[in-house]
Amino acid sequence: MNIAQRLTETFREVFNDPTLVVTPETTAKDVDGWDSFSHVNLIVAVELSFGIKFSQRELLTFRKVGDLLRSIQRNLDQA
Amino acid sequence: MTFVSPAFVLFVAITWLVHGVLPSRFRWAGLLGASLIFYATAAEPQLLVVLAWVTTVTYLGGLRISACDPRVRGRIYVASLVGVFFALGLKYLPLVHDAVALLARALGRSVSIPIPQLASTIGISYFTLQAIAYLTDVYLDMLPPERHFGRLALSLAFFPKILQGPIERGGDLLPQLETTYHFDYEKTRSGLVLFTWGLFKKTVAADQLGVTVDVVYGNVHAYSGATLLIATYAYAFQIYLDFAAYTDMARGIARLFGIELTRNFDRPYAATSVAEFWRRWHLSFSRWLLDYLFRPLQIRWRGWRQHGTAAAILATFLLSGLWHGATWGFLVWGALHGCYQVSALYTRGYFNRLQRRIGLAGTQGLAVLQVLVTFHLVAFAWIFFRAANLRDALHVVGNLPTGPVELVHRMLTANAHSSLGLVPGLNRQDAVIGSVAVVLALWERHLRRWWASTHSLPLRWMGYGALFLSIFVLGRFGGRKFIYFDF
Repeated sequence: MNIAQRLTETFREVFNDPTLVVTPETTAKDVDGWDSFSHVNLIVAVELSFGIKFSQRELLTFRKVGDLLRSIQRNLDQA
Repeated sequence: MTFVSPAFVLFVAITWLVHGVLPSRFRWAGLLGASLIFYATAAEPQLLVVLAWVTTVTYLGGLRISACDPRVRGRIYVASLVGVFFALGLKYLPLVHDAVALLARALGRSVSIPIPQLASTIGISYFTLQAIAYLTDVYLDMLPPERHFGRLALSLAFFPKILQGPIERGGDLLPQLETTYHFDYEKTRSGLVLFTWGLFKKTVAADQLGVTVDVVYGNVHAYSGATLLIATYAYAFQIYLDFAAYTDMARGIARLFGIELTRNFDRPYAATSVAEFWRRWHLSFSRWLLDYLFRPLQIRWRGWRQHGTAAAILATFLLSGLWHGATWGFLVWGALHGCYQVSALYTRGYFNRLQRRIGLAGTQGLAVLQVLVTFHLVAFAWIFFRAANLRDALHVVGNLPTGPVELVHRMLTANAHSSLGLVPGLNRQDAVIGSVAVVLALWERHLRRWWASTHSLPLRWMGYGALFLSIFVLGRFGGRKFIYFDF
């Protein structure tokens, strides 16, 4: 399972939607229930799923799923 | 010089003419010069020193942050923020003065430590928040630093927004200051209409409500529950119309110069939850809170999961209250909004399940109920925002429960004229005019839609004429300042 597939699985678990599909261009507006309250649940779930820890600075610059994917890749490369 | 004055209209007209004949490369200089003159006359001239300080710190900070070694940019960012906070701190000098006096009394000393007091700190709250947003965006590489000092200064000082916002983002405003100005009839016309509509909302609707609110909230102990209830409802609409009026006027003037400012309101009292209210109320400020306060705190405390989010909400709204001023009333107001949203955070799963189980989820009836509940929660919090002190606010809260019963009793036992007697200083004519104006102002979305579909020129000019006439005949020009000037 590649990073994008694993991330999609995490999104499906957090937002309780087994049919959810995310792409690098997906933003919070495109996902039902992805608001400022649930955002932190998603971040914690992604960190647990990939065994990584995002920096504060990284988390503040995420604007779309593509940013999240790049950060995951970078953290995995550094690990 | 305030927005509601002939001097201001003349000032805008001269600025517009000068701006129109200036070559494009000096456009910023014309607007900056006008903005500094406006700020010096609207506030105390010495506040220009504070503005110059914040502008210089922001300009140099932005350049240094982007140019320096990544290992030290954090330190430069923090140092720049400290410089900006120093200016914001001027607003809290009275609090420091009181705290020092209290400490001296507690220690049994009569030491008097001279702390300079500014008679007014108008505008500081707004341009400092904008400076913080700019520095943060540059630090996070989300915005390139502005290398032109004049344009950065103008983005902070632009006169339509310096006193009361909107709190603009560098990424939205700075690119607009670089563009070449071309006269556009449609933009100029819509800017003038927006300004005039704001003037109507302020002078005919908001200030009419303000008469009642000021009388009742000026001496809450003299009135019964029904009058306090009416004044509390009136204030909820007054503060919205007053602030939205200012924003309309600011956006209208900016549009004359080819600049679009942020829309600050989106029918806030149509919100179905307090969280949604904050996505519709004072948008430029609530987005600032979300991006530069709530989100960083939420991320920092993410290890506590939902409790971390709850703590971030409470901290954000307590600080939001204090931003309005260092009083118990603003603190309680912020705490109430924080508590509303924390309660929703912990109970929303339960309520969603309950709504589905009883078949209410997604129904029109539920939406209406949610709008009513949200409005009343917000209006309740406004009591602490408006009352002169905590004692007055608690008196209003304590007497409100008798209000509805008293109101119904009066309506059943008296005629319409005597029920109006509940509202001091308000005659029947003013009540009717004020009510019609408030309804028109609240229904502006429908009015706009109708107006946009009307292409008959005579009808349009009749509409403009009616708007002008109503402002000059019915408007209150008694010098009641905009509520948010105080913050």
